[in-house]
Amino acid sequence: MQKWWTIMLFVMAFPFIYLCMNRVFHATVMCITMNVAIMLVFIYAPTEKVQGIVQKIFYFHVSSAITMFFAFFLVCVASIMYLWKNSDWWDAIALSAAEIGVVFCTLVLITGPLWARPIWGTWWSWDPTLTLTLVLWLIYVAYLMLRIEIYDPNRARFAAILGIIGFVDVPLIRWSVEKWRTLHPKPVLIQEGGTTGLTSAMLLTFLVCLGAFLLLFFYLLRERISIAQSRHALEVLRHEIDEIL
Amino acid sequence: MQNFWYVFIAYCTIWTALCMYMIRLSQKNKELQTELRDLRIQLERILTK
Repeated sequence: MQKWWTIMLFVMAFPFIYLCMNRVFHATVMCITMNVAIMLVFIYAPTEKVQGIVQKIFYFHVSSAITMFFAFFLVCVASIMYLWKNSDWWDAIALSAAEIGVVFCTLVLITGPLWARPIWGTWWSWDPTLTLTLVLWLIYVAYLMLRIEIYDPNRARFAAILGIIGFVDVPLIRWSVEKWRTLHPKPVLIQEGGTTGLTSAMLLTFLVCLGAFLLLFFYLLRERISIAQSRHALEVLRHEIDEIL
Repeated sequence: MQNFWYVFIAYCTIWTALCMYMIRLSQKNKELQTELRDLRIQLERILTK
């Protein structure tokens, strides 16, 4: 089997893990995987010959980016389902995934320049990949600003449309990395032909990091959805009390 | 090892940001659970009167 498909199957397995685990077990597995990931990055993975130690930012920078793409994909799917079914459950998933996606996008935008400074000699370059990532961050920050505090179905519908349109930027970023000649390096993880440019030790370390980040994403999603459900339950209870009084 | 500080700052930023976000979510969750419990007690009192 090609490595590209192995990685895709690896990512797709996580929603099922999320459904099968309870909160405490999930948190325990996540903490263990995170610790193993850090140990692999600094002890097991070889130091890259050209870039040196700074290349170790790659493991968490790319893992954050893939988790961010996954989060925004979930926003897009949940927004479509919300517009179709008009269910608060899908709206809660979209809002939660958008907030977590923005957190991971912020991490990508912070770790990227920290990696770029010693390698490119500059913190930031207005090249297509970096600019499109900044635009993606701005789109979903706008999404969150639309959803601040009060619940309004019109705002929720408008935000859902923004969530769907905003996702168009994700394949554009991927395309810009592959096709545009920019400062940003070409994909190393999955190259043309479905093979990987990483050594087996680096690939194993990266997959553990990605696994840890996806476990963290689903843990945060669980917590954030729980907040959305509690808010909804509070509104219902307040309404009941108001009706009685 | 000349670029060690970039790696150090990157990893510190990641863990600080994620820990702060997790703590914020957990605190918000607790606050809402307490508020929900108080409101349920209030509702029960109203219904028993």
